[in-house]
Amino acid sequence: MSTPEIEFKGYGITTTDPAKWSEFEVVPIKPKHFGPRDVDVAIKYCGVCGSDVHTLTGGWGSTPNVPLVVGHEIVGNVTRVGDAVTEFKPGDRVGVGAQIGSCGECRACKAGDENYCPKMIHTYNNFYPDGVLSQGGFSTGIRAHEQFVFKIPDGLELRDAATMTCAGLTVFSPLKVNGCGPGKTVGVIGIGGLGHYAILFAKAMGATVYAFSHSASKEADIQKMGADFVVSTHDPDYYQPLQGTIDIIISTIDHYSPDRPLKSYLSMLATHGRFITCGLPDADNPLPPVHPFDLTYNGCYIGGTHMGSKREAVEMLQLAADKGVKPWVQELPMSQAKQAIEGVKTGKARYRYVLKQDLVSYD
Amino acid sequence: MPIPREIEFKGYALTSTDPAKWSDLHVVPIKPKNFGPNDVEVAITHCGVCGSDIHTLTGGWGTLSKLPLVVGHEIAGKVTRVGEAVEEFKVGDNVGVGAQIGSCGECRACKNGDENYCPKMIHTYNDFYPDGVETQGGYATGIRAHEQFVFKIPDGLSRRDAASMMCAGVTVFSPLKVNGCGPGKNVGVIGIGGLGHYAILFAKAMGATVYAFTRGTGKAEDSRRMGADYVINTEDPDFYKPLQGELDIIISTIDYFSPDRPLKMYLSMLFVHGKFVTCGLPDADNTLPPIHAFDVTMNGCYIGGTHMGSKREAEEMLKLAAEKGIKPWVEELPMSKAKDAVEGIKNGKARYRYVLKQDLVDYE
Repeated sequence: MSTPEIEFKGYGITTTDPAKWSEFEVVPIKPKHFGPRDVDVAIKYCGVCGSDVHTLTGGWGSTPNVPLVVGHEIVGNVTRVGDAVTEFKPGDRVGVGAQIGSCGECRACKAGDENYCPKMIHTYNNFYPDGVLSQGGFSTGIRAHEQFVFKIPDGLELRDAATMTCAGLTVFSPLKVNGCGPGKTVGVIGIGGLGHYAILFAKAMGATVYAFSHSASKEADIQKMGADFVVSTHDPDYYQPLQGTIDIIISTIDHYSPDRPLKSYLSMLATHGRFITCGLPDADNPLPPVHPFDLTYNGCYIGGTHMGSKREAVEMLQLAADKGVKPWVQELPMSQAKQAIEGVKTGKARYRYVLKQDLVSYD
Repeated sequence: MPIPREIEFKGYALTSTDPAKWSDLHVVPIKPKNFGPNDVEVAITHCGVCGSDIHTLTGGWGTLSKLPLVVGHEIAGKVTRVGEAVEEFKVGDNVGVGAQIGSCGECRACKNGDENYCPKMIHTYNDFYPDGVETQGGYATGIRAHEQFVFKIPDGLSRRDAASMMCAGVTVFSPLKVNGCGPGKNVGVIGIGGLGHYAILFAKAMGATVYAFTRGTGKAEDSRRMGADYVINTEDPDFYKPLQGELDIIISTIDYFSPDRPLKMYLSMLFVHGKFVTCGLPDADNTLPPIHAFDVTMNGCYIGGTHMGSKREAEEMLKLAAEKGIKPWVEELPMSKAKDAVEGIKNGKARYRYVLKQDLVDYE
């Protein structure tokens, strides 16, 4: 297929007026300056992430820099590679997630944990050292350093891989880091985009999965995703029979209510079990109060996680291809980004929106 | 030494529910557990004084079950009697007993050798056996315990030094071990009291680099003598800034969490997937300062808890202590001066652990 020079443009917000947080217009994009390690990607699809909502609404505490194009669940085809790039060639099917830069020199980067680099650059609303604002994937194209570009294996459709680059990776990484595998019991709290991926991947990794949901209407879907047990969190005593049974809890809770003490979740952990918060609430929403006693009786941990490294992304994508992991996505044309993003905000997605890029045809 | 055939069980107990009299301890007779085939009887020579004793006596951890109550769970002494099924111990052995005295033996935690996480665990004092006998602690002449909770003190380690390892030592040794302390690791210790000083001693013995965090400069020199590689004064409001991402494990002995010291300060000092373990157990109304998910996200770190240690860990710790010649910084007092000791702990005066020498009956 011919791979023309990308005309970088996308659906962006142009005002910081909170009432217009989801009003998109087509705007030109100034990509980063092309360097020897960079890869240009013609975008075919981009998933819609809770991060997009938190950023556009200002919920994460900072005003977006406008014009701003969000979106960091990107897939497409390589159109151009820098002179020093050996991993990719034009035509390759690739993905890009929520990170687009790191320093390459710190202890984290050297350990292959670039997603923990103190100088990391996010895929949108962040500045490169030369002052260019990073712009996301609700657009025709993106330029990224090869460390942040992941090859999509054969057998995995682009449309399915898109949302794995953030949602999938965000749960795969803590599952992997915390030892998910055969013989382990994993709890997933909240079955949305992240949560449904946690079920799919935890099952693919061989664990027993308990899904915790507030929505009775999702129960049938959750069974089909492969969860071994579905627990309704409406029952105020839901956690009592599960004391000390779960090794890893993946929490996708996006808003912590003070009347749901963390203790009820923590008590379900086995000795030295881990409760990992993947959901990142608004800046004014801390975790409910925790007393050391809540952690003491089972020696458990509350942990955080941030995206995933390239090493983890590649492993995840290969697992998805090998085990035929099929996410539950709803496709919309990218021009309907507003509808999708409002759907995420109001919890309507079943279970992830994917936008099909419709500004330029690359087929 | 004359090992008594039969111990006359008695100890220094709290007898009044008046909060103002929390530290007034009077000699009372003790009813020990009913002796069983797996039990070991210990004539107590020393008992350390632990923050738990204060939290219990003051009611800070909740209302007391039944008085009179004898506290103390850093016990060292000599075996005077063993049950028929006991093979590990014999009369005359030097042994210790810590903060736990029972477990179910059947649950997943017990089967994994993590009996300190048994949901049916029994604490050494202020708890009840299934048959209704109340557990009484070590400010006493003797204690009777299931062998799983009795630890042999190796040669080369005195009972006086081993005593406070039974709780304070193992309470920090266990999370150091569980969280991978060893050569190449950077360990931060917050608060240099009984627990904190042990964390320095053990982390160094395990080969780590140790950063001691203390308020003010009063304990700086002692911390260095204990082996700390770096001493940081937490009164400096920016103390944590130069240490971003430096530490693998933080052992926190903070016993009171102030809301103006956000946990984020400490958490930011952790490297990727580092662990902040709270060993200190504050009063029931003192929660951790508010934590936002962001605080654990940027380095993928963990906040953890820990509860005493297993027998396996206690034995490993005691062996390490004997081999490396670990000397805790203890101040010895006669057991009749328990009041001074518990009040000293409450006022932060210990340098760095009080050990009470049992003075009701002479076993030496």
